[in-house]
Amino acid sequence: MKPDEAKKHPGDNLLALDLRGVSKTFYSTTGAKVRALEDVNLVIQEGEFITLVGATGCGKTTLLNLIAGLDTPDDGYLRLGDGLRFGDNVAYVFQHYTLFPWRSTINNVSFGLQMRGIPRKERKSRAFELLSKAGLSGFKNAYPHELSGGMRQRAAIAQALAIQPKLLLMDEPFGAVDDSTRRELQQMLTELWQEHHTTILFVTHNIDEAIVLGGRVLVFSERPGKIVREFNVDLPRPRNRMTKEFTNLFIQIRQALSGQLD
Amino acid sequence: MRKEELSNKDLGNWPKLIGWIAVPIILLAIWQMAAVHLNQPWIFPPVTRVIEQLAHPLREHYASGSLLSNTVISLLRVLLGFSLAAIAGVTLGIVMGSIRIVGDAIEPIVEVLRPLCPIAWLPFAIAVFKLKTLPQLVGVKYSHTIFDQVQLGMIFVIFVGGFFPVVTNTLDGVLGVRRNYLLLARTLGATRRQTFLYVYLPASMPMILTGLRQGLGLCWFVIIAAEMMTGSDSGIGYLLMYASDNSAMDIVIAAMLIIGVIGALLNFTMRRIMLRTVRWKGKEV
Repeated sequence: MKPDEAKKHPGDNLLALDLRGVSKTFYSTTGAKVRALEDVNLVIQEGEFITLVGATGCGKTTLLNLIAGLDTPDDGYLRLGDGLRFGDNVAYVFQHYTLFPWRSTINNVSFGLQMRGIPRKERKSRAFELLSKAGLSGFKNAYPHELSGGMRQRAAIAQALAIQPKLLLMDEPFGAVDDSTRRELQQMLTELWQEHHTTILFVTHNIDEAIVLGGRVLVFSERPGKIVREFNVDLPRPRNRMTKEFTNLFIQIRQALSGQLD
Repeated sequence: MRKEELSNKDLGNWPKLIGWIAVPIILLAIWQMAAVHLNQPWIFPPVTRVIEQLAHPLREHYASGSLLSNTVISLLRVLLGFSLAAIAGVTLGIVMGSIRIVGDAIEPIVEVLRPLCPIAWLPFAIAVFKLKTLPQLVGVKYSHTIFDQVQLGMIFVIFVGGFFPVVTNTLDGVLGVRRNYLLLARTLGATRRQTFLYVYLPASMPMILTGLRQGLGLCWFVIIAAEMMTGSDSGIGYLLMYASDNSAMDIVIAAMLIIGVIGALLNFTMRRIMLRTVRWKGKEV
């Protein structure tokens, strides 16, 4: 049981992420202008679990790429909190091609540690510990193509956690697995977050998932992509989908989303 | 159609056995009968004469070495030249593919030199390197080993033969590396050098190995042709040519069979290496 994270850490207002008026425009090969992001304002405190929900292709990935430093905004202000650095403690989990296919599971998890020059023995033992937590200790020598979709995403999360991130960006990481696996993964992620309180920004197009995971749910509009509504989820974790509050929230978010579709 | 498929399966290993045993035996039998009938062994020797030559690989021919010693010389030249081509080709391919300005700067010259038959380089190579050998490069005139037979000109031509397939395939491989892997490596803290070593290199390994396989095959083609040219004095291609000048068609055919079998073995070995090292090929998820 965890109440809203702001209450959990009274006075703890360390900033993890600050975006003001961030915009990004792409030009398609035909020269057409695509306004991917427009005037995005977002402040995230350390330890928050934020979910970002919106239709597929509405610029959510663009936003994550900007935050991860893989792209730069055309306009606006984007700042990571103190001590947060790209390629250091900001991790990113994708939906597809989340693991290096030429590396075994354990070597995938230890990739970040290897890049940091941590000795082989130590990085293997640390990676194995994370694999065990993800329930994959029996698959340490398996290759990604030998794992199921759910296992791959577990391994990908372990790979991200290995670098001890202070900010974890997730781009529809559970979008390609079946429903029951998705629920298992959601539960695992919730438990991990409750244990470490890593700041998480989680992108999904699944409203149910956004409510189950997030402390705050941000509703993203389509073309141009911008945050149109924000919902606090004051429900105890692990969250019960069968409560009235959950359902009410679901309907509100659905309305906010479909309002955008009109 | 269904029935045909079934009956194909029912045959088991028989088609392979036919291909590996029955067909060669039939061809050899026809050859033997035709050769005996023709009775002109300097043009068309019987199988038995060729087998007799193959059974004595150490026999000296015209003071030009044996089938075995000349085969070893050719193989040594190929392996040296090909190794250099592999190292240079893979390195340049990766650099060209990952650093755009280098790729754009070098691609035109590669595209012009690539279609040029490596043998065309031979006169130039001999002019530049004279008949310098490997030991002479390090200041030893005669090492009295097989390395005295490794002329730099030959190595250069082999290098040219192997280099282009390796560089173009590696380049294709690098250009085909999924952007996700690069992003992933970057967020996990890979430096530029580490990205080369731990992403570009392994990710393009299937194409690199394809290039190496093509390159090695081409090197084996090129060395035989180069050795058959005037000015050459050793190697299996040289022995083949020399035997032909002396109307020893049994040695010519024995050399041809050796060249073919070695080419097949090189290809087979490269394929095995490929299947073992890139088990993930085509299974990206």
